[in-house]
Amino acid sequence: MSQDKDKIVKGIVAEFETVDTLMDACRTVRDSGYKKTDAFTPFPVHGIDTALGIKPTILPWLCLFGGMAGTGTAIAMQWWMNGIDYKYIISGKPFVSFPAFMPVAFELTILFASFAAFFGMWALNKLPRYSNPMFTDPRFDRVTDDRFFLYIDATDEKYNFAEVEKLMGDAGSAYIQPVVEDDSPKQVPRFIFMVWMLVAGLSAIPLLAVLKMRLTRSELPRFHVFFDMDFSPAKDAQHATTLFADSRTMRDDVEGTIYRGQYSEEIVSGKKVAASATVDDLRFVSRFDDEALSAAGGDRDPGGLSDEAKVELDADKKDPDNKESDQKDSAGSDAGNAGSASPDSGDAGAQPPIPDDQWLSEIPLTVDRAFIEKGKEQFNIYCAVCHGRNGSGQGLVHERARKILSQWWVPPSSLHQKSLYRDKYPDGKMFGTITYGVRKMPGYAAQIKVQDRWAIVAYIRALQETRRGSLDDVPADLRADIESAKLEAEARLKEEAEKQKKKDNATEAQK
Amino acid sequence: MSLAIPNGLDNTVERPGERAPLVLGDTTYHDITEAVCQVAERKPSVTWWLGFLVSFILLQWFGFCIAYLLYTGVGVWGNRNPVFWGWPIVNFVFWVGIGHAGTLISAILYLFRQEWRTSINRAAEAMTIFAVACAGTFPGIHVGRAWLAFWLAPYPSLNLWMWPQFRSPLLWDVFAVSTYGTVSLLFWYMGMVPDLATFRDRSKNKWRRMAYGILALGWSGSSRHWMRYEKAYALLAAFAAPLVLSVHTIVSFDFAVSQVPGWHTTIFPPYFVAGAIFSGFAMVLTLMIPARTILGLEKLITLRHLENMCKIILATGSIVGLAYGTEFFIAWYGQVEAEKFAFVNRALGPYWWAYWIMVTCNVISPQLFWFKKIRSTPWIIVVVCIFVNIGMWFERFVITITSLSRDYLPSAWAYFSPTWVDWSMLIGSFGLFFTLFLLFCRLLPIINMAETKATLAKQYHMSHDHAAGEGH
Repeated sequence: MSQDKDKIVKGIVAEFETVDTLMDACRTVRDSGYKKTDAFTPFPVHGIDTALGIKPTILPWLCLFGGMAGTGTAIAMQWWMNGIDYKYIISGKPFVSFPAFMPVAFELTILFASFAAFFGMWALNKLPRYSNPMFTDPRFDRVTDDRFFLYIDATDEKYNFAEVEKLMGDAGSAYIQPVVEDDSPKQVPRFIFMVWMLVAGLSAIPLLAVLKMRLTRSELPRFHVFFDMDFSPAKDAQHATTLFADSRTMRDDVEGTIYRGQYSEEIVSGKKVAASATVDDLRFVSRFDDEALSAAGGDRDPGGLSDEAKVELDADKKDPDNKESDQKDSAGSDAGNAGSASPDSGDAGAQPPIPDDQWLSEIPLTVDRAFIEKGKEQFNIYCAVCHGRNGSGQGLVHERARKILSQWWVPPSSLHQKSLYRDKYPDGKMFGTITYGVRKMPGYAAQIKVQDRWAIVAYIRALQETRRGSLDDVPADLRADIESAKLEAEARLKEEAEKQKKKDNATEAQK
Repeated sequence: MSLAIPNGLDNTVERPGERAPLVLGDTTYHDITEAVCQVAERKPSVTWWLGFLVSFILLQWFGFCIAYLLYTGVGVWGNRNPVFWGWPIVNFVFWVGIGHAGTLISAILYLFRQEWRTSINRAAEAMTIFAVACAGTFPGIHVGRAWLAFWLAPYPSLNLWMWPQFRSPLLWDVFAVSTYGTVSLLFWYMGMVPDLATFRDRSKNKWRRMAYGILALGWSGSSRHWMRYEKAYALLAAFAAPLVLSVHTIVSFDFAVSQVPGWHTTIFPPYFVAGAIFSGFAMVLTLMIPARTILGLEKLITLRHLENMCKIILATGSIVGLAYGTEFFIAWYGQVEAEKFAFVNRALGPYWWAYWIMVTCNVISPQLFWFKKIRSTPWIIVVVCIFVNIGMWFERFVITITSLSRDYLPSAWAYFSPTWVDWSMLIGSFGLFFTLFLLFCRLLPIINMAETKATLAKQYHMSHDHAAGEGH
């Protein structure tokens, strides 16, 4: 071609129409001793590697190393991140938990090996390469369509245009041309450069804005791209609202709301505040605040833990108050005791029990029928299993313990003993006993609400009345009911006694 | 150079001692180039414009819904206690599943030397990538504060000073789906480079030539390049094959590793993978059958291709049906009260309708493919495949919603109801998918020309030998 005369010739290319003619040409060229050859085809032609003498690639090795790097990275990353730098316990798994690390290790192995295959292939092929002498011939465009090309490089030892031309012609090529250097301008066109600059410049603006905001001082409030939870939709006290007809944001409490401090300390502790407002009494308010207690110098004895050993210890102590109260009644080693003296500090420094006059003598809440009914309900749930539904101390658990002759069973107190009447055992003290426990009885503060504990006290008082009250205590209009109920009960008892008698007689007769 | 195929357009008939041809008619290498390139080179048809318009409007609607969600918060969805996974996760699993067919066709069928894959793998891979894009959207916006979704990545943060929790399947999922998306993209792009070079070399327009030229990386078809390229392709196929299986396995771990009755089962990984292949092939067929007719590619995507895919749908559909049965058997055999309840509740509880839609579409409808007549009638295939897609969406719905709405704590039970945003996002994600797919049809080679030509060369070679043999 005349216009190509002055250009540097890089080699020679011949076009073929079929795979078979190309393959034959490749073999001929190889057998004639040419080394720097290459074939160009629209699709991979199998067997051309051997026909041209192309060596296999090292790509699989790259992939192997890529894959190993992936596994290593994943294991090291997870080990360090979850096992060393930032440990936290998740569903009891070890910090370095290989079974759980496997999926990510697998994924990264694949990812890195794939990167090695992809980028390795392009690198080994020295692509991308946009300026290629092959592309100077417009006819070469058909290499990606339906034509096959064989190329011999000009630097080959045996290269000789005339000889090669003859060889290719014999092999069946109708189009043989020298390949000349690509002399198209290497520079990127100016306008592309301009567009690129413009895009880069524009895209830098947000970045610069962010940097400026982060690095400079400003008195304006922070700029929020996303609000997150920085702005609360809650109204302030004097704001107007559209949610309510009266436009006021300040609303009354919902019915039944208990606000902090609504229950006075008297109600919570069962003690007279004036008499007991010492630091020591913190235990009644915050039972679990050990620090506060030790600071106050008093050892806390959680109600539920006062046990046999403690009773014995108490008994051993020469402290007359304790001794006396222990002997006085079976329920005697009471809340005061349980609270103040502890088994491991049974020394003279133990605080004396709280005197009865410091307990509230009466229930500090309104006692009405509903209140007592509530107490009945709670008593039957929590207390009756040991103390019996009638408070006689003959509950089911007690019966069972007797049946199996349990040696460690401390019988529950009958609530009908005189020492537990209100004059000897103030309501506050009864409340304290329920709250903190006594002897084997655990405290019920965690199970029963404050109000309900007082309700139980009220119900216990009612139970006690049933054994010591007289008909005079009953309102006049209800007495008739009681009388009739009494007669009925007597009649029934009598009947039952007769039945029993008959039965006994029958058994005797049988004998 | 032309080549006559004796049995016309019906290559579904097996002829003893012969391989059925996969490229039909008097097709030459140049015909393949023409057939594929004309799709992108000629002016888009009215059908294309209509499809694109609808898809694009749906995509805008999807974008609007995402913006509304980000501005307002996740409360715009129907996700309420106890169903916090709701539709976003249903859609996520659905789309990830769809995304399995592409790489499966490319990788596993390649490794098994199933040559019929050549004319469908490109579109299937593209579909994979678009499906993964749809899938990736949903967990991204489901995290609540989507602008902090990058917290999923283990990057050294100066604000948080903490690392992700690698013992959680949800994090494995992040790695699995992102690896899958990346590798699929590499695989797709690499497979496309020789065809992009074809596009480049055919371009009349300077700009087109430049754009395709940049994408084609200076591909020249050198034998050395082809040799390494083929090696890399085989290696990528070998890596992608276990990857495909791992992705839906790990997605199933999201469910199976938890304690929720109906989720906590070891059958999930194989069951999910079979379901994913099932739904993916159905989606490929749903797209390819109209595409081959509209774009005039019947000679390259032949009935035999369709029939082979129907057989895979039949096989995987039967596996899925078996898995449904096995789940019930194990629920009864295991004698765990909560587990038994979960499955009875699926079939007979408040979502019974979803369960039976699922069974009808997934178990019964693919069984039609036992009949050759149905397997080789394109419009019936499309109908069945649409049913399969509906069924597979409902499968994810049934698994996610029924188990969450009634788990161990009866006092927390509730019925899930989607909102208009849920509906819009499901439909909108189809807008994203179809917009990408239609653009792909217009801009990129939708059939792997180089490989199809290689198949044709082999076919030509064989018939040549055959003719030569007869001559002797």
